[in-house]
Amino acid sequence: MLASQVIDRIRAFPPRMTEFTKQFWWGLASGDFQTTRCDGCERLTFPPKPFCPHCWSEGVRWVPLSGRGKLYSQTVVHAAPMVFQEETPYRVGIVDLDEGLRIATRVLSETEPRLDTAVEIVVLQYRDGPLFAARPL
Amino acid sequence: MTHNVAILGAAVLPVAKWQKPRDADVQVLEHETLAKVVIAAMADAGLDKSEISSLVFAQPRPYTQQKYFATFIANYLRLPCTGTVQEVLGNGMTAALAFEAAANDIRLGKSQVALALGINFESAVPAVEHMMNSMKATGDVDFHAPFGFTPISWYAMDAARYIYEFSSSREELASVSVKNRRHASLNPIAQFRKPITLNEVLAQKPIVDPLGLYEVPPRGDGAACLVMVDEEIAKVSGKPYVRVRGRGFFHEGAHQINEVPNDMIALVSAQRAGQAAYSEAGVTADDIDLAELYAPCTIIEVLASEALGLVPRGQGARLCAEGVTSLGGRIPIATSGGLQSRGHPAHVTPFYSFFELKEQLTGRAGERQVKGARLGVTSAELGNYNAALVHVLEGVQ
Repeated sequence: MLASQVIDRIRAFPPRMTEFTKQFWWGLASGDFQTTRCDGCERLTFPPKPFCPHCWSEGVRWVPLSGRGKLYSQTVVHAAPMVFQEETPYRVGIVDLDEGLRIATRVLSETEPRLDTAVEIVVLQYRDGPLFAARPL
Repeated sequence: MTHNVAILGAAVLPVAKWQKPRDADVQVLEHETLAKVVIAAMADAGLDKSEISSLVFAQPRPYTQQKYFATFIANYLRLPCTGTVQEVLGNGMTAALAFEAAANDIRLGKSQVALALGINFESAVPAVEHMMNSMKATGDVDFHAPFGFTPISWYAMDAARYIYEFSSSREELASVSVKNRRHASLNPIAQFRKPITLNEVLAQKPIVDPLGLYEVPPRGDGAACLVMVDEEIAKVSGKPYVRVRGRGFFHEGAHQINEVPNDMIALVSAQRAGQAAYSEAGVTADDIDLAELYAPCTIIEVLASEALGLVPRGQGARLCAEGVTSLGGRIPIATSGGLQSRGHPAHVTPFYSFFELKEQLTGRAGERQVKGARLGVTSAELGNYNAALVHVLEGVQ
């Protein structure tokens, strides 16, 4: 179960949801961070996909992720697209999850975090739905 | 039988803010602008328009109102063609892909004279609006864009990782901007030509940490036309020309980040494409006299120059600060001024790289001439160098 943080606004650029990815987004809203794993080659993928990108098997199942990892890199965006103007500056980064998956997300940290620092994934509960972010432990 | 490809003529528009706001009474339009560049390029090649049989365009930005631009220009310039008339698109690699497609028509004997050409007008569209498009081109719309990644935010994260892994510094990276502006001061078609100091670079407003305004590409408009021919035509022309010696391509099968964690700043695509291009050309990185790389930010010039073997891994920024990649140094990089100072009209940027190499390899680069330059390398990319297209060019005088 991920920690969660309430954000009192709507998402600036909300992700689209499909019949398939709603499992991810609805799960996230209730604190679950999950993705798909191939029944055949057993490899994980992220974002979750209705097939395995490694062996193209269509036999995949949802599995929980620990929500723990290391910060591979990060930056602060000062010049942002129109819809993010109210949020600038904001920090984003790349996280290597403990399960061996690389993801990109927001980073919650007032100060510049050292790279390779341990982070946890948290849920950002916007008024219109969830996003996620990484926070140094 | 395959045919050797040569660049016999070329012309470009100086990079600048040419586009007028949408509500301006008098507009500067893409087709009028590009036509002049095409006529100049053909005059440079010394060929008649009736010899052209293929047109390969870099697709314009979506802001260009005239759609199906390629077929419009075939009419505007009265250019019947037996090879092909097409537009290609592939992010920052667009113009290099157009170059490839034109070259392929010559290699396969479908054309003896092919134009690789295009125009990129975008500067009157505000950056905050433009980024609403570009953020969707450099990341997953549902799993990256909602967090606010911008195209150059990925490069900024390359910079942070590079500084961390190799004990480099923002100052070393910023030396690339100073060097490139010095080069641009000698280039009449460059967008920014007034020399700048390291302190001025460091004092600019932050854009994506650790990069400031002078370490990221400016916005600008450009147009270019390369006249590509069967080398037999170049030989009989009696003019100096550039021969395409080798090419290499690699797409790593990832978009911005590899979901299987890898060494992001090794730029594996540039490594693989570079090796393939050198191999086809029968040369090594040590044989290269100068490089004109697709490098929107300072860090990318450093990483690409390392990946192409021009400087040792982890030392590119320091060696730039020491002058190794400057005009007069061991391996001059971005003698045009690069994307920060020559300018970056993205869909045609690689055309400008080929143009600079043609000027250099035919001895026409004036004050910024690399003495005795014979072999040059150029690269183009998309994403965060997730794919690279590399060419080795040789001057024949």
